[in-house]
This record gives sequence, C-alpha cells and structure tokens, in this order.
Amino acid sequence: METITEKVRDTLVLAGSTFREDQKEAYRAAIAEETKEQARWTMEQILENACVAQENKRPLCDDTGIPHLILEMGHGRTLTGKMLEEIYEGVRQGLQALPGRPMAVKGDDTARIQQSEGLYEDPAMLAPAPLMLRSVSEDVIRLTVILQGGGPEIRAKTYRVFHRHSVDTVKDEIVSWAKAEVGNLGCTPCNLAVGIGRSHYEASSLMLQAMAESRFGQMTELEQYITDRVNEDGPGPLGLGGKTSVLSTFVKVGPQRASGVRIVCMRPCCCFEPRKASVILS
Amino acid sequence: MKKLKVPASGEAIADLQPGDMVELSGYIFTGRDAVLPKLVTCIQEGKLAKSGLDLQGSVIFHTAVSPAGIGPTSSNKVEIEGSIPVLSEAGVKIHLGKGALKPETVRALAENNAVYAVTPPVTALFGSRVDSVEVAAFPEEGMEALHLLKVHDFPAIIAAAHGRSIYD
Repeated sequence: METITEKVRDTLVLAGSTFREDQKEAYRAAIAEETKEQARWTMEQILENACVAQENKRPLCDDTGIPHLILEMGHGRTLTGKMLEEIYEGVRQGLQALPGRPMAVKGDDTARIQQSEGLYEDPAMLAPAPLMLRSVSEDVIRLTVILQGGGPEIRAKTYRVFHRHSVDTVKDEIVSWAKAEVGNLGCTPCNLAVGIGRSHYEASSLMLQAMAESRFGQMTELEQYITDRVNEDGPGPLGLGGKTSVLSTFVKVGPQRASGVRIVCMRPCCCFEPRKASVILS
Repeated sequence: MKKLKVPASGEAIADLQPGDMVELSGYIFTGRDAVLPKLVTCIQEGKLAKSGLDLQGSVIFHTAVSPAGIGPTSSNKVEIEGSIPVLSEAGVKIHLGKGALKPETVRALAENNAVYAVTPPVTALFGSRVDSVEVAAFPEEGMEALHLLKVHDFPAIIAAAHGRSIYD
C-alpha cells in the first residue's frame, strides 16, 4: 500500500507533467476553430508537448512552478502533524522526481530578496506555499497539488473594484485587467483564474480554488463573457494573432462584504496551467 | 515547414520571412540575462577569438539549461534584447526566444542579415529533440552558462526578418 509521502510525490509529478483529458479536448477544439496557420501550429506544438511530457513523465515547462497545496478534510477525519510532515516530504520527493527547476533562493531576508547568495542546487529545497485547509462533506482526506509558474505571477493582479451594485461593473473591470496583461504574458493561450472575495487573502484563496476546481468545457455565463471579450482583440497564441488568446475562464465567487467594494484576484494562467492533480490520502 | 541546418549560411537566412515555420537541426547556443551581457563584453573587448567560440551563422536560444529542461524566456528583457545588435554583428544569425522586440532591434537584425524567431515553451518536446548538451563558456553561471546543444527538428516561427515583424 502506498504511503502518504509516495502518493504526494506521484501527484506532484502528475501535476507537472500531464494534461487532463478535458484540457486536451479544449486544445483540440481551439485548433479546429483556428484559422490562422501560425496560431494553429503553436497550439499543436503545445498539445504535442503534453503528449511527450505525459509519456516520458517529464515537466511540461522548464518553469516547474511553486507547489501550492489544498487539503480537503471530511467531517469525521483527523489531521495530525505527522501527516503534514509526510505531505511535505512527498512534495520534496516529487520535486526531485519531476525534476523541478532548482530555484530555491539562499540566504537571510535581505539575501533572499536581492538573490545575492545564489540558489540551492537541490529542487527539493523549494518550499511550498502555505497550505490551504478546507472542510468537505465527503468522507475523505484529499490533497490537490497546483504548480504556479512565474510568468503568470508577474501578470496577476489583486485589487479592489467598486461594484456600483452591478455585476457588469466587476466583470468589465476583470476584462479590462485581462486585456492589459494577456498580451504581456507571452505563453498564450492562457486561462484566466479569478477569485472574488472580501479581502486580498480571501480573493487570492478563491482564485486558487477556481484553479483547483477548474474543468474545461463547462464555463458559466460569467466565465464565457469574460473569455469572449478578451478574445475579441487578444494577441492570440504566442502573440502571433488568431482567435484564441484565452482558452477558458474559471471564476470562484466567495462570501461578499456589506459594502461598495469587491476584492478581485485575476491570474492569467499560462498555456499549460492549471497544472494540478489530486489524490485521496485516506 | 522549412528545414534549416544550423549554423546557417547567410543565403539561408536571407531566404527567411516573418511567419515562416521552421525546424532547426544542428548546433545551437543557449544564453539569457546573466550570460549574454558577458558575451557582449567579450566581443567588445576583442576577446572572442581567444575564447574559442565561433558565432558565425549561429543560433542563440534564450533559455537556461536546468534539470527540468529548456524553454524560452522573454527576449525583450533589457539584458537579452540589448545583446542582440552586438551579437548579430558578431555573426549570430538566429535569436530564438519569445515576445515582441523593439523596432530598433528589428532594424539592427536586418542590418546584419539576422532574424528573430519565437517558440512556445514546449519543454518536454524540446527535451525529446536534444541530442547532446555541453557548457560552452562562462561555467560560473551554472544553469545560465552559455551552453552548446546538438538538436534536431527544433520548432520555431520567424518573428522578425528584413526589418519586418509579425508583431507589427
């Protein structure tokens, strides 16, 4: 029987090396619709890359990303400190197995900020982001691993929107942010992950949940509107023009504050994201 | 799809147009933010010949070489784009990366019969088409050192040639 550490290791490798079937289908559909030759070629290369990565269990992208973990706990389940350490050990072993790009920065606060003491050679030195814990009704402990690349982090934005009591105000602001950033991303077609909440922390958490729960081909009216608007005059795959700047949008709306402001987190995920995989730990 | 042997001849480069899809086979260098300014300094100080590097007809792919593989970084970073005119004058014929370049860089490419090509970040696919890897210069830069790769059927699209860019 697999240990928790082994399950987490294999899940991280899966997240970094595999397109899910719905993700492949989204690309196939976009390729079939695309009329610009260079744009079609770019998406064909991305899809072929996914097949090679899956077959060879190799990274989809050389920026293997920062591991983000979401742990879902059934009501009758118990989490211990030992289990947490087994999860973190699984992350370390997964980063070595993938292998992850060695990008953990050495040194004290100042040295890490200015990157003046270099990097650790061991990919396992890359610490995951703080773990998110959620309660679920299923009788399981489920872990989702999401690998977050650097390019989208440069282009993501978390900020307030004065909604003026209209959802249109909020969604048009999201479209405006996305139009400003998608062209700069480079690795398009992208997927927009959006969280809407009461604080910056909550909005970012909701954005991550939107990525965790994402399924291509199942957009809501709100998600379809954002996708279509950004694609109207977007840069296309790799900025080469064409119809598909955004493959899909994933929005998670949380509780809202009794006020005129909404906090929105918008992350233009790259052409391989969401890089995610889940496993039942017990 | 055009098949191109690299290092490439001046005639082969002159034949390339923006939008052409190509597959590169042969030897390519890799370098990015850390090492390209060092290479430029080496050229400007007249030390290239002594370094043993031959840039005539060469390709420089804007990437690091890490255990995770290779993939294009943005070529419009100051250190990378700033190196393109000097490197083109020194014989580099194909600068391979991603993102749009400034008009003045596109002009500098044309003045030296060099081109700019872009490629998606298809790391696994690249990995299956790399036949050998060695450090060519500046080993102190680790994964950002100047590497020499032997590759086959490396996919790219010509983004700028003859003073024209597909991003215009």
